[in-house]
Amino acid sequence: MKDDAFEALLRDTLAADVATSRERLMNLEERVISELADRRPRLRWFQWLAQLLAPTRSGRVGQVVVVGATAAVFLFLGVALSDRLPARDVGARLSLEPVRSADGTQDVLFVLPALDAENVAVVGSFNAWEGTALSDSDGDGIWTASIPLSPGRYEYAFIIDGRWWGQDPLADEYIQSFGEYSSVRYIGRGGDGA
Amino acid sequence: MNRSVSRTVWTVLMLVSLVAGATAGASLSEFEQALQAVPVSNLGYILSSIELGMTQPGFPADGLLRLIDRVTRRTAPAFEKEAVLLVIAHGLADGLPVEGLVNQALEGLARGVSLQWIEQRLSERLVLLSETRDLLYSKGIFSGSQGSSSAATPAIPTARFNQLLINISETIGDFLEGGGSPFDGYVLYEEVRNRLTMLEGVTLSADDVALVLDRIEPSDLTQVALAAVS
Repeated sequence: MKDDAFEALLRDTLAADVATSRERLMNLEERVISELADRRPRLRWFQWLAQLLAPTRSGRVGQVVVVGATAAVFLFLGVALSDRLPARDVGARLSLEPVRSADGTQDVLFVLPALDAENVAVVGSFNAWEGTALSDSDGDGIWTASIPLSPGRYEYAFIIDGRWWGQDPLADEYIQSFGEYSSVRYIGRGGDGA
Repeated sequence: MNRSVSRTVWTVLMLVSLVAGATAGASLSEFEQALQAVPVSNLGYILSSIELGMTQPGFPADGLLRLIDRVTRRTAPAFEKEAVLLVIAHGLADGLPVEGLVNQALEGLARGVSLQWIEQRLSERLVLLSETRDLLYSKGIFSGSQGSSSAATPAIPTARFNQLLINISETIGDFLEGGGSPFDGYVLYEEVRNRLTMLEGVTLSADDVALVLDRIEPSDLTQVALAAVS
């Protein structure tokens, strides 16, 4: 008799426990997903872009559409605006006119066409004959460097892939130095190094 | 907070001291240290010449230190390295402006020519500097530290006088190195006139240029050029 009473008590207690747990387990999956969604870290722009471009089963078509549309917009804008750029903007980037500062120093442009060169530098009396690298960022073979110089006379030469080249077409004059040519520019008067 | 402030102040102080150190002129002890690395056998003479040169306007301290360093790094017998430095020391000891000599030595080293060639060229240019100075003196054109100033014998401030000296002598040197004959006095005179005129109002005073061009003649330049090639 005692055993029957104990079993009944145990059964009731378990039933009550199951009823309580059932309430707790109701919609558990949705709530977990919702909470995880709230905790999602904020993506930086490149992470967002990487995620956008990451191949997934469901999103590939959408991604291709987004990227394609963006490329088309930029292509259209590039073509449409290229003819409308004022000519002076292009000229200003390659201007040979020196830019003068208050102390008389001028940014002097050194330009050298060297189509197949890998490294071009200018050496001269303005940098103790230690190379200042020229750059060709757009890869068109026109190498340039802008060097601030105070008024005076400067001797210099270019070094193209280790070879000296002393006859700059933009020089004011040429001299022979150690059996080779050197170029000369006068800054601050006349040619202004241009 | 306090720690970050003190760290910032410390960083700023370090940067200021670094900049101050970098911009300060080279001291005699720096030259001594650099020369010992060459090494040179006439250390005393070269150092005393440099000490004398340091009192002159336009003394190329940084360029000379750079030159000593590059000569030291050059693979060559020590006596050849010292010979190059001795030419410059002679110029300094004689009170001549050596900016051009230092520049030419740096150029020669960059071009990779032999130290003997560099020394030979510097020696010729040193003769030209000295002869040109004598020519200017003979024409009554002195630097500020020489003689008394008057209309007949104007004393040009040393820095301006040195600029004239450098440009005239270098023009003659470039003319000769380019294959010009010392006897082409008129051509040489035109070369000098062109160079001085190009620098008129830039690094040369217009009055100084006019004075020099008025007083020197083609035959004078021939005499200077002949001294360098003889």
